[in-house]
Amino acid sequence: MGRSPGVATLDTEAEAWVAAQVGGALEAVFETVAATRADTETLLGRVVAEDRRPVSADLAALRPGLHVHLTREALVSGVGFVAAPGLLADVPAWLEWWQSGADGDVRPLLLDLDPGQSAYSDYTHWDWFALPRDTGRRAVAGPYVDYLCSDEYSLTLSEPVLVQGRFAGVAAADVYLRHFETAVLPLLRRLPRPAHLVNARGRVAASADPAHLAGSLTKGPDFGELLSAARPGAHDGMRLVPCRGVPLVLVLA
Amino acid sequence: MHEVVTVRQHEIEGGARRAVFSPVDNRARVDAVVRRIGDAIELGLLADGEQLPGETELAGQLGVSTVTLREALMALRQQGLVTTRRGRGGGSFVSLPEVPADDRLKARLRSWSTEELRDLGDHWAALSGAAGRLAAQRTEPEDLRQLRRTAEELTRAEYAAARSRLYGRFHVELAAAAQSARLTREQVALQREIGALLCLVLADDAYREEVADCHRSVISAVQDGAHETAGTLAERCVRESTARLVAVRLTL
Repeated sequence: MGRSPGVATLDTEAEAWVAAQVGGALEAVFETVAATRADTETLLGRVVAEDRRPVSADLAALRPGLHVHLTREALVSGVGFVAAPGLLADVPAWLEWWQSGADGDVRPLLLDLDPGQSAYSDYTHWDWFALPRDTGRRAVAGPYVDYLCSDEYSLTLSEPVLVQGRFAGVAAADVYLRHFETAVLPLLRRLPRPAHLVNARGRVAASADPAHLAGSLTKGPDFGELLSAARPGAHDGMRLVPCRGVPLVLVLA
Repeated sequence: MHEVVTVRQHEIEGGARRAVFSPVDNRARVDAVVRRIGDAIELGLLADGEQLPGETELAGQLGVSTVTLREALMALRQQGLVTTRRGRGGGSFVSLPEVPADDRLKARLRSWSTEELRDLGDHWAALSGAAGRLAAQRTEPEDLRQLRRTAEELTRAEYAAARSRLYGRFHVELAAAAQSARLTREQVALQREIGALLCLVLADDAYREEVADCHRSVISAVQDGAHETAGTLAERCVRESTARLVAVRLTL
């Protein structure tokens, strides 16, 4: 209230710009995911052309590419291919997954996937696996506590991997929420009103608003609907701006 | 079975193993080492017949002196969980004795005093209670799927070991539903300590049902956003399990 129409227009422009920048930051991560998907599809396609079923050792060929992604893309802390159960001939399930350590080293994730030993052997219900499998499209899972792979509060970006048109697993990349916050907080702070980002379910992913901290829920608006419409909206005094290309909404108090 | 062996081998060399051999900062260092290695053997993280690293290396990995490690290995030999061969090709090897798992677990429980068990229960109740309260404030319906699935699987799990793994998973998932990485990490570490012991109380079908009921009521309270109720129910569930464990300990 009390602002001139000109300032309001500038505000709207700033909001749209910030939303686009946030989308762009995650778009760079999605490029890593897409490259991993392409590498995996090429590799699996070659194996199938040899008229045999892939084995876990075949996936070692992905490693040089995965290591490059981990060192080049600052936001990415984990990257790899997660096989659909039954894809590989030698193991029931497999994650060809690499992570960057605190000291900048690159190491493989080694999980106990034996259902007789581990309560965490089935990974097919996690959003980062189930969403691309069920929708056929790329997805952003989280924020969530990733107690399977990293023990970190994370976003996971993933895409389905298809071989001869059939779902073979997902290519994915992890972004730790603390790194995401470092990347987007300077953007949120430029805005004249307290701002935060939520996912399609209203879970706060990053915030410059002490009243809405990461992990909490912003209740009221139907963020899923707003993202489908891909147009700014308003709810109870809040301005809502969808981020281009990614399922996050910029919320201004 | 080949595929299982492959995966297990990787796992043994991997994260689980690092956790097994991470530094122990306990006053009762010998007991802590005995428990850590003993639990890893009971839980199958260290396989029957597997060779343990050399004494100097193992002591280094666990952050204890070789004197402490030797005492711990002696205790593990007495429990029949480790054998030592001398000379070329010698060293310490994991050996699962031919006694029923129940007896081995009771031997493990005997290394805990009731005071330590009570304290462990307090820690667990603090973690799960806090997780229940926060989850009720921060959960939306999609977050409950995993908890429901775990509660459901618990009602069908046949063996005590599987029941204990699912029990632990429920509390880890509750901490994750609280959106707290710290509470989740603490809960995972706590389950590493108590997981094997819980087999002793979860073999009882009636008690398994009681736990499953308790978990379902926690889920309902979380879903309703009734945070005090969710926290109190989660604490009650955990305290009852600890009380049963103490009762078993007192019979030994």
